[in-house]
Amino acid sequence: MNAAESVETFDLDLGWLDQMGEWGTRAEPGKQGLTLADIQLGSYGDVPAHSDNLTGRPRGAGKRADGFRVGGYEVRDKQDIWLDNAAMIYEEAVNRQWSSATDVPWETIRPLPDDVEQAQCELATLLTEVEFVAGDVPARWVAATTPDYFEPRMTLLAQIMDESRHMDVFRKRALANGGGLLQRTGGTAGVVGSIDMSRDFTEMSSRLHISGEGAVLSIFRMGELMAYNEAEKIAYRLCAQDEARHVAFGVMHLRYIADTAPERKEEIHCYLDESERALLAGQQNPAAQQTPVSEALAILLGGGKDQFDDGYRKLLAIRRRQVKEYMQRVKSAGFGERFENGRANPELKTYAQL
Amino acid sequence: MSETRKRRGLQRRIDKIDAENIDYPTPSLAWMGRTHQWGTRVKPGNKGLTLSSLNVGHYGEIPEFWEDQTRMPRGSVAGPGGVPPIGYSVRAKHELWADCAGDLYEEAIQRRWAPTTDVPWATIEPLPEVVERAMCQLCTELCQHANVEIETITSWQQELSYGYHEVKMFLATETFDAARHFEVFRKRALCNGGGLGVESQGRVNRMILENRGGWTEAMAVLQLLRGTLTHTIYRHGMSFAHNDAEAIIFGKCLEDKSRHLAYGLDHLKYAINHQSDQALILEQVLGIGERHLVRELRDPPFRESLAIIFGGGIEGARTHGMARYQHLMGDFVRQYLDWSDWLGLRRREFVAPELKAFLEK
Repeated sequence: MNAAESVETFDLDLGWLDQMGEWGTRAEPGKQGLTLADIQLGSYGDVPAHSDNLTGRPRGAGKRADGFRVGGYEVRDKQDIWLDNAAMIYEEAVNRQWSSATDVPWETIRPLPDDVEQAQCELATLLTEVEFVAGDVPARWVAATTPDYFEPRMTLLAQIMDESRHMDVFRKRALANGGGLLQRTGGTAGVVGSIDMSRDFTEMSSRLHISGEGAVLSIFRMGELMAYNEAEKIAYRLCAQDEARHVAFGVMHLRYIADTAPERKEEIHCYLDESERALLAGQQNPAAQQTPVSEALAILLGGGKDQFDDGYRKLLAIRRRQVKEYMQRVKSAGFGERFENGRANPELKTYAQL
Repeated sequence: MSETRKRRGLQRRIDKIDAENIDYPTPSLAWMGRTHQWGTRVKPGNKGLTLSSLNVGHYGEIPEFWEDQTRMPRGSVAGPGGVPPIGYSVRAKHELWADCAGDLYEEAIQRRWAPTTDVPWATIEPLPEVVERAMCQLCTELCQHANVEIETITSWQQELSYGYHEVKMFLATETFDAARHFEVFRKRALCNGGGLGVESQGRVNRMILENRGGWTEAMAVLQLLRGTLTHTIYRHGMSFAHNDAEAIIFGKCLEDKSRHLAYGLDHLKYAINHQSDQALILEQVLGIGERHLVRELRDPPFRESLAIIFGGGIEGARTHGMARYQHLMGDFVRQYLDWSDWLGLRRREFVAPELKAFLEK
C-alpha cells in the first residue's frame, strides 16, 4: 500500500450548501468601520412585522424543517420593541464604553465635611440601588424577544452593561472617601405599576426609559454642580452619556409606536399617567419631593446642611429642568397632546412654570 | 455643555423662582448616620479602583444566603421594612458564586473591543466560493452559539440576588461580549460576497435552554460543555484564518470566551465544594448533554464546513480537512475532560463513547 492509498477518505453530504440564506452579499466598511447599518443588505435588512422564528435562527439564515422550537419568544411583533435607530445606539454604546476603575481620577477625591460626605454617600447608595433595575429588567425582555429583532436586543444588552458600570461607580464613590453606604430606599420594589413588574415591553420602557432614566439623566447632567472634585464630575459626565442613549431608546421606541400603532396610544397614556405620579413623589427620582435623597441633594447643592435653603432653591431649579426635559421627551415621542388636553399631572406644569 | 454654562443656566432658573413664595421644608436628616460602617477609604491600586478592592470590612462580608428580596446594596442598612419583594429565586451563595467574578468584570471592561473598528475588514479578500460558503456556515453556527449564551443568561439575570452583585455585573459583561460575537460573525458572513448559512437543528441549543432547573446546571452545559467547544473553535480559528480580519476576530472572541469559561469553571468548583450531591447532579446533566452533542455532531453542516475550511475545498475536506476536524474535536474532548477532572466530575470514565473516540484523533 502506498502513502496516497493510506489516507482515510470521508463521505460528505453537502446538501446544506443549497439550503443557505441569500448569497452574494458584500457589505463594505465605511468611514466609521463596518457598522450594523452597513450589513442591512437584501433580505438581511428585512425586519418582519411579525416573526415566526421560534428556533433562534439568525435573521436571513436558511430555515430547516427539522429545527427545534426552542425560542418561546413573547415578543414577536415588530411594533412591540422596535425603534429605527437601535443599531446606531448600539454602535455608539460599544464605542463609548469606559472603565470606572481607570477612567475616573479617584486620586482627586479629598476629605469632605462630614455632612457633605454623608449626603454624597446617601445619593451614591440610592444610585447603587436603582441603577441596576435597568440591568435586571431589560435582560428579561432580551430573553423574551425573537432574534429577528436583534438590533433592539443588542442595544438593551449594551444598556445592561452600562448599568452595571453605574452601579459599580457609585459603590466605589461611596467607599472611597472615608464614608460608606447608608440606608436603602426601597425605591425599586415589586409593586403593581413598577418597572420590575411590567407585563409588556412598552409599558416597561415608558417607565424605565422615559420617566425613571430620564429623571436620573437630568441629575447626571447637573452632576458637575454638586460634584466636589474631578472624579465626581467625570463619573457624572460619563454616566450622563450612557443614560442619554438609554433615554433615546425609549423615546424612539415610543415614537415608533405612535407612528405605527396609534391604537395603543391611549394605553401608553395610562402608563405615563402612572409614571408622572411617581416622577414627583417616588423614591426612584433622586430629586423627588421630600425624600432622604432629595435632602442629600439640597445639602450637596448648597454646600452643607447649614446652607440647606440655598441648596433647596437649586434643587427646585433642577426639578424644574427635570420636568421640562420629561415634557420635551414625551412630546418628541409623539404623546405631547397630554400637556395640551389637561391629562398630564398638573403638578408638572407647576414645576415647569416655576 | 461646559460647567460654566451649566452654572449660569441653573442660576437663571433660580432667579426665575419666586424666592419669597418658596415653602422651604425642614429637613429631617433622619437618614444621616444610618450606616453599618463609616470611615471606609479604599484607595486605587495599580489597576485603578477595582470592584474587588471594595470588599473591605463589612462591605466584604459575602453571606451564604441573601435574605433580602429588594435591590438593597450589600453592606447598606435595610431600614424600615414593608418593601414588597421583587422575587429573586437564586439566593444562596453556592448557587451562583465565583471568587473571580469581580476581577473578571474589570478585565472584561479593560479588554473591550469594537467589531466595527477593531477588525481590519479591508484585509478580507475573495475566497473560493465553496470555502466562503463554509466560512459563512461556520459564522452562522457561531452566531447561534452567541445567541443561546445571550438567551440563557438574560433569562436568569433577574433571578440572581442583588447581594452577589459581582456575579450579576460579570454576567452583564458576558452578555455584552456575546452580543459582540453575534455581531462580528454576522458581519463576517455578510462582507465577502457570501451570506448566512443554514440554521442549526438546535439540538444542543435546546439542551442548554431547557437546563433551567438551576443556574449551576445551566452553567455546566453552557460553559463547560458548549463553552469549551466554542473556545476550541475560536482557538483553531486563529490558525485557519484566511486574513488578518479573521485572525483578530477569533483572537478577540477567544479572550472573551476564556473569561466566560473562567467564571463557569470557578462557579462549578464552588458549587461542587459547597453543596453535597452537586457533583452527582452535574454528572447526570453533562451525560445527557454529551448525548445531545453527539447527535448534533452527526448533522453535516457543522463538521463539513470546518472540514472544507481546513481542507481548502471539497476534495481536501474529504481527506485531511476531515482529519483536522477530528483533531479539533479531539482537542475539545481533551480539554473538556481535563476541566471535568479538575472539577472532580467523573466524565473521563463515563464520557459518551462517540466523544471518547475523538481522543485518538
